[in-house]
Amino acid sequence: MLGTFIITWRETIEAALIVGILLTYLNKIGQSKQFRFVYWGALWAVLASLIFAGMSDYLSVFFKDIGEDIFEAAILFLATGVLTHMVIWMHHNAREIKGALQHEAELAISKNRLWALATLAFVGVFREGMETVLFLWGFFLQGGGITSVAPPVMGGLLGVGLGVLMTWLFFKGFGHLDLRPFFRVSGFILLFMAAGMLSSGIGKLVSVGLVPPLMEPIWNTSWFLSERSLLGSLVAGIFGYRSSPSLIQALFYLFYFPITLIWLRRQRHDLAQ
Amino acid sequence: MHFGLLLGLGLWLLGTADAEDGIRILIKDHRFSPSEVRVKANTKVKLLVSNEDETAEEFESFSLNRERVVRGGQSITIFLPPLKPGSYDFFGDFHPDTAQGKVIAE
Repeated sequence: MLGTFIITWRETIEAALIVGILLTYLNKIGQSKQFRFVYWGALWAVLASLIFAGMSDYLSVFFKDIGEDIFEAAILFLATGVLTHMVIWMHHNAREIKGALQHEAELAISKNRLWALATLAFVGVFREGMETVLFLWGFFLQGGGITSVAPPVMGGLLGVGLGVLMTWLFFKGFGHLDLRPFFRVSGFILLFMAAGMLSSGIGKLVSVGLVPPLMEPIWNTSWFLSERSLLGSLVAGIFGYRSSPSLIQALFYLFYFPITLIWLRRQRHDLAQ
Repeated sequence: MHFGLLLGLGLWLLGTADAEDGIRILIKDHRFSPSEVRVKANTKVKLLVSNEDETAEEFESFSLNRERVVRGGQSITIFLPPLKPGSYDFFGDFHPDTAQGKVIAE
């Protein structure tokens, strides 16, 4: 029961972090009436996870060996793209704010941006959702009567519940930040999440043999932080930390930052015209 | 052009010849069998993981940098890079208490 609890708790926090940032963002720019875009994105992700997990057998035939991993990598790359867009316009928002101390602002948000937020909520929840559903589903299918199925499933549901609660509490506090610091900190978090998703996607392609690792592993930092520990598993899930990454993963992670910075500068330049 | 194709084919075969023929690992009753796998160090390795259980398992290893779901009844190929001599743990993320194993490169 503890096992399923910890896993679902962790996965829920990883997903809820993104959803929380999106909702708090909308709230702070005075667009809380658009919350539904984020809720729908998250809801559809849960449904999609259930459908994909449920269609497990049919999909294995259709996807063969590596199709599913390519699909997961594609989801991660899509997430990276949408997250990067979000970071860039959050940065832009931060610059728009004239007053140094402002708790909230009335900023317009286009329909396109709202759909981008919905997409972000979707990928943020889906990437965790699929694995979590598959994981919990297994316990259902195992059967063996209510006494053996109930504990792990209860543990799993409690994990989801506590994860949502803790994230909600976190954002109650985090939401009190003034606009500029909120945008800065959120942008920072999302930036590292994006880099992590990018290198994780690459990692998936490496493990199915589609992308050469170049050198693997380039180091082993498990003495410093192991994915086995609670903190390590959170950092691994949220920011894509790996103790023994391949060179190509590390390169993508590293180069994501200067490339995004260049893109950001270019956007700023274009907008200034 | 034919020579080029032959050369390419030859090089490709050489490349794949580096990899050992896949080592079979079964997942049964949420356990890996065999749980200890010995491989040649500094050689590319292929693991053929077959899940004979009805439910999914996730083959995961931090030191090997691999994390892949194997659905019930499915078989997958996991490519490992040349490994320095040593012991590398792996486990089943969905059943970590029982699904444990290690790859020993020597």
